[in-house]
Amino acid sequence: MAVAEATTRDGGASFGWRLLRWFVRRREASVLIIAVGLFVYFWIANSAFVDRADIKNMTEYGAPIALIAAGEVMLLICGEIDLSLGQLYAFGPIIMYLTSNSSGEAVPGATVAGLGLPIWVGVIFALLACAGIGLATGVITTVFRVPSFITTLGMLFFLNGLNLRLLSGEQIVLPFSQTFQNILGGYGAPNGPFPFYLNSEVYWALFLILLVQFILSYTRWGLHTVATGGNLIGAAESGVNVRKVKIGNFVLAATLAGFAGMMDSERINSIQPLQGGTDIMFLAVAGAVIGGTSLMGGSGTVIGGLLGVSVLVILRTGFNILGVNAYNFDLITGVAIVGAMVLNVQIQRLKNIGKLQ
Amino acid sequence: MEHDEVNEELAEQRLEKALGYDRASLLKRIAVGGAAVSLPAFLAAQDALAAPARPEAGGGGNYPSHPKWKFAFINHVTTNPFFVPTQYGAQDACALVNCTYSWSGSENAILSQQLSAFNAAVAAHAAGIAVTVTAQGPFEKPINNAIRHGIPVVAYNADGGRTGAHTRMAYIGQALYDSGFAMGQRIAGLVSKGDVALFIATPGALNIQPRIDGAIAAIKASGKGINPKSVTTGPQVPAELNAIDAYYLAHKSKLKGMFAVDAGSTQGVGQVIAKYSAKIPGGGFDLLTPTLQSIQAGHLKFTIDQQPYLQGFYPVIQLFLYKLSGGLMFPSDTNTGLLFVTKANVKPYLTTKSRYEGSSSKQKYPVS
Repeated sequence: MAVAEATTRDGGASFGWRLLRWFVRRREASVLIIAVGLFVYFWIANSAFVDRADIKNMTEYGAPIALIAAGEVMLLICGEIDLSLGQLYAFGPIIMYLTSNSSGEAVPGATVAGLGLPIWVGVIFALLACAGIGLATGVITTVFRVPSFITTLGMLFFLNGLNLRLLSGEQIVLPFSQTFQNILGGYGAPNGPFPFYLNSEVYWALFLILLVQFILSYTRWGLHTVATGGNLIGAAESGVNVRKVKIGNFVLAATLAGFAGMMDSERINSIQPLQGGTDIMFLAVAGAVIGGTSLMGGSGTVIGGLLGVSVLVILRTGFNILGVNAYNFDLITGVAIVGAMVLNVQIQRLKNIGKLQ
Repeated sequence: MEHDEVNEELAEQRLEKALGYDRASLLKRIAVGGAAVSLPAFLAAQDALAAPARPEAGGGGNYPSHPKWKFAFINHVTTNPFFVPTQYGAQDACALVNCTYSWSGSENAILSQQLSAFNAAVAAHAAGIAVTVTAQGPFEKPINNAIRHGIPVVAYNADGGRTGAHTRMAYIGQALYDSGFAMGQRIAGLVSKGDVALFIATPGALNIQPRIDGAIAAIKASGKGINPKSVTTGPQVPAELNAIDAYYLAHKSKLKGMFAVDAGSTQGVGQVIAKYSAKIPGGGFDLLTPTLQSIQAGHLKFTIDQQPYLQGFYPVIQLFLYKLSGGLMFPSDTNTGLLFVTKANVKPYLTTKSRYEGSSSKQKYPVS
């Protein structure tokens, strides 16, 4: 009877009704509702929240975190995690700087002198170096069978030390040209050349996030990633090279994190060995999980990760706009993460009940 | 169902009557925001209710009535104990001139977070901003942008390098290079020659790097055969202690002194000297309680007080006067001091609990 009813309802449904049903079926629907709810709340609380300058501020702050979350989502889906992405975020720009800085002007006392190559070579070197780190992590995890939690925890400390060594703990004011900075994510003028005056960084991040979502949804690689995380043995027995899939996703996540760091260093006009770190990594992991990615592997979406990060960024910026005292900040963030997650799970549950009827 | 609604409305009306419109509208907003966001709204409501919410409040002191301006303090380590008295200073100054302030930024010196908080303050049209400029390049454009929007900006505690950021209106804090230089002279008086370790939490950070530069310059200027080595300890106090401990163990045969240029490292130096009963002089900066105890016990020779209370107090006063005078009273550079605390004068620091040193939140006079 229930089935028959559903069929008739579907058959005679208006476009709006069908759109609603399609939307509710989406995994990201619940987190989108939370994000929009928070947005509206802060809007009511202080109209400066929707000020053009603040929208720009939020997107700039969120873009690199969302990009790191995109890589983390792919890893979580295939049943792994990378805790060192925050350090890769600092490592990428350091390599870019050391490659392109001329040796004469290297950091005083730095371990490695600059190579003085063109900046674009610096970008490529940095991406390759990050990919190399990802490859190492992947190989250690899959071939030597060390749980990725431990491998990447080790990598976290190793990279942090390496970053400090490479720059001797110093912070660098960017020597690169304004054009390069603008292209990669630079601060730009208050009215930059890009749509809605947002930074190029935001568009880079959006483009790459959509690309990773496309890979996840529409390619064999994506299918294999889901299969590996959902049922490792089953996937392996049906011919998926699970080791390759995992290593590939470690490389992908590491490269994206390094690129996020390079973009952000152009925006904040500075390269620092302690930039990012565990703060940004936990934000990315929290964003991925709030966005509906399972910590157990096998399910999740990159867009969901983007929305999850949006929730966190809206919260943080909203608090700043309201002038919430820094002492209350973490208190509320903690409650908000769990609260958002409870809402998310409950909305999901209601959705499931709704589907059963 | 209907009954509940009526009850709810009645309760709301009663609240409105009792507490004024603001509380009620805030409560409505809490209801709109849902469970996840009710806490910030509640805390914001607390802040709002702590002071009368009239837009035109009394002027405070002898001043005419003026809007209740809200000044934003943007800090690089918001929860660091060093800045507790700074917040008391800002609070007390705000009470004097009938303004308010907010306290935000980054907890762990993450630049992008601090910048994001700064930009949010600009978007929220803060009446004025006080910011710790710990890095030279990144703050230039945001500060310019704020000033273009008519928001006065002063630097406090850290000034983007020895020469100072060009964009901020004034710097309120210790003359960092000079304080380092004075420490270097003191070191040259304590050590005749040999290796001396200079510990620094985060090299290059512009609230402490100028000190180490100053110290090295003074040691060189002394012409003694002292060989200063700067050693990185990291931003977290427990890790700083470990770093200093390890450095001491590895170099104790040649080490003639250990000094530090930040609060956490100074505390660590005192603790390591005490742990190994080391017979070498030590010293550093700031007034964390373990540091003061080390001075009392004779493990540290000196520490330098930079009066963090004033670093919250003066920015508010200066920003307030700028607003009140329509820009005629332009903020001016203010040195918050360079006072050596030694065994001779450490006692009142340890025995007195005061807001001025962050050891008590109570307002009382006399302090002891």
